[in-house]
Amino acid sequence: MSLASTAQSSPRRTRLFDFLQPGARAAFTAIAVTAVVVLFLAPIIILVVTSLRPGWGVYYIYRGTEFTLANYVEVFQRSVVVEAFINSFLLSTVATILSLGVTVTSGYMLSRFKGWLPKTWFTSIYVFRTVPYISWVLPLYIVNESLGLYDTFFGILAAHVAVHVCFFSWIMKGFFDGIDPSMEYAAMIDGCTRWGAFRRVALPAAGPAIAALGILSWLWTWNEFLFALILTGNRTPLLTVTMAQFVTELGTEWNLMSAMAVMAMIPAVIITLFAQKYVIQGLRI
Amino acid sequence: MAEVVLRDVCKRYGSYNAVDNVNLTIRDKEFVVLVGPSGCGKSTTLRMIAGLEDISDGTITIGDQTVNDLPPRERDIAMVFQNYALYQHMTVYDNLAFGLRNRKVPEDKIKAEIDRAVDILGLRDLLKRKPRELSGGQQQRVALGRCIVRHAKVFLFDEPLSNLDAKLRAHMRLELKRLHRRVETTAIYVTHDQVEAMTLGDRVVVMNNSRIEQVGTPWEIYAHPRTRFVASFIGSPAMNFLDGRVRSNGSGFHVETPGGTFHVSDANATGLAGHDGRDVTVGLRPEHIRLSETKAENALHGRIELTEQLGAEQLVEVVAEESRIMVSRVEAERDLKPGTPVYLTVEPGQLRYFDRETEQRLA
Repeated sequence: MSLASTAQSSPRRTRLFDFLQPGARAAFTAIAVTAVVVLFLAPIIILVVTSLRPGWGVYYIYRGTEFTLANYVEVFQRSVVVEAFINSFLLSTVATILSLGVTVTSGYMLSRFKGWLPKTWFTSIYVFRTVPYISWVLPLYIVNESLGLYDTFFGILAAHVAVHVCFFSWIMKGFFDGIDPSMEYAAMIDGCTRWGAFRRVALPAAGPAIAALGILSWLWTWNEFLFALILTGNRTPLLTVTMAQFVTELGTEWNLMSAMAVMAMIPAVIITLFAQKYVIQGLRI
Repeated sequence: MAEVVLRDVCKRYGSYNAVDNVNLTIRDKEFVVLVGPSGCGKSTTLRMIAGLEDISDGTITIGDQTVNDLPPRERDIAMVFQNYALYQHMTVYDNLAFGLRNRKVPEDKIKAEIDRAVDILGLRDLLKRKPRELSGGQQQRVALGRCIVRHAKVFLFDEPLSNLDAKLRAHMRLELKRLHRRVETTAIYVTHDQVEAMTLGDRVVVMNNSRIEQVGTPWEIYAHPRTRFVASFIGSPAMNFLDGRVRSNGSGFHVETPGGTFHVSDANATGLAGHDGRDVTVGLRPEHIRLSETKAENALHGRIELTEQLGAEQLVEVVAEESRIMVSRVEAERDLKPGTPVYLTVEPGQLRYFDRETEQRLA
């Protein structure tokens, strides 16, 4: 009696796909996957196609079948574009190298040490992270202006290093939290100093995480627009801002802008193709 | 090779005493096991000896040297951790060589040392592997190897077997014992597993609530526990405890419990002298209890609640009045049904008596 009632009270639930033909689930999955892929790929495809079209052929994809590389040539004949690429590359690289030195050590400190110093540091990072990053721009502009750093490489570099340190020390702490500290204790017993244990054991163990963080930092600065817009001008052109300058009073030169955007995308694509293993591995620690 | 002496050692975190006034002398080449429940301060004590924790009070000496202010690397110790703590990015060979390279030992000498350790531990084929390609038992061996090559004065073990499965643990326990006989180094071993403590230790240190409860050989700890805690912690299944009251009957003593009365043996009587009328706790080891279905003299009367068939023996839980009493070493063949009335008897000399309030042993 009791058995029968329990059986009745939980009948097999009828699922959506039970109403449909067999194989409907596979079809639905295929459609969903296609939709997502299209959603992500369409902007890139449109961008690439636009960059290969003459200026008069960009508004409608079907207007003519003419394709050309002239846009790329034209873009790179402008010295400001070349300069922007060089500046952005230098900025991303230098900012990443400088900030990694700080994020790695400070992340380690946050993960392993107790006391007033790590606590204060953690609190300040926390506060800076909670403040929306857009609200830093104006104060930073005023500071840079008054220190004579406006529109200098160093001015924008300092801002980026600051953001990296605040955003990524946090992530680095998480990585180190995932690494068992007894490895470092073993190293200290095996003859290392505290610093030696960090450098020779914890650091190599965090290698993939550091690589992942380096890539994230690099891409963050490479793609950053707001700081570049406010803190730099004509003397220090940066990629993202230069790209936006194709919007003129006479209209937007979509073809040129696209050509530049495609070139700007290349480093990100290369990194995604070759380093995604490290990024995934690093983020998993 | 060295003696390790802990004198009035304390570890305080704010107002909390993690280790409270520990005094202990570990003789040269001795294997001492610190055992106790989690949070009893055993690991903290070990970490203070290693130099991974500061000492709040007291002194620790290794050999002739007070090591209070020495960093771990200058204490000449080696340590095995619960999770092995192998350097993940190095091969087994480099893991073994790491400590020696830090001490600037020439590479050919390192090779000779590793050869020797590898033969002892059977790691020959694994030298080129990375730790994550090894099984738990193999990783454990590498961690041991890291100690052996160092020729440190003292080996420290922090629950080294607790991450292994039961079968491997029993195997590694034997290997550890064999290893100690072969390498002959002072060893301090921390565990919460009383079986490891009993089987490995030349002497066992039982800790509870940040203090040492008793130090002694495994047999002393088992046969003559100094406190109720030690009696309950050592032995499996755990000792049974009954509340009772001491009664003098002219020539000797007996102890009355709700389930029945125990005659106090002559040897125990001296300890109970002067405690007439006092509340005590009677301790009965499950393996000392005889279970019979026929009425017996001086027996506790109860009913079988549960039986656990282990193949070699049966464990029987008996309810006598309010108390649950575990009986072990009951012949596996006996057919015992729950609910059967039974009589439990114990040799009077095997009973242990503890003061109800102080929990110290009386007899």
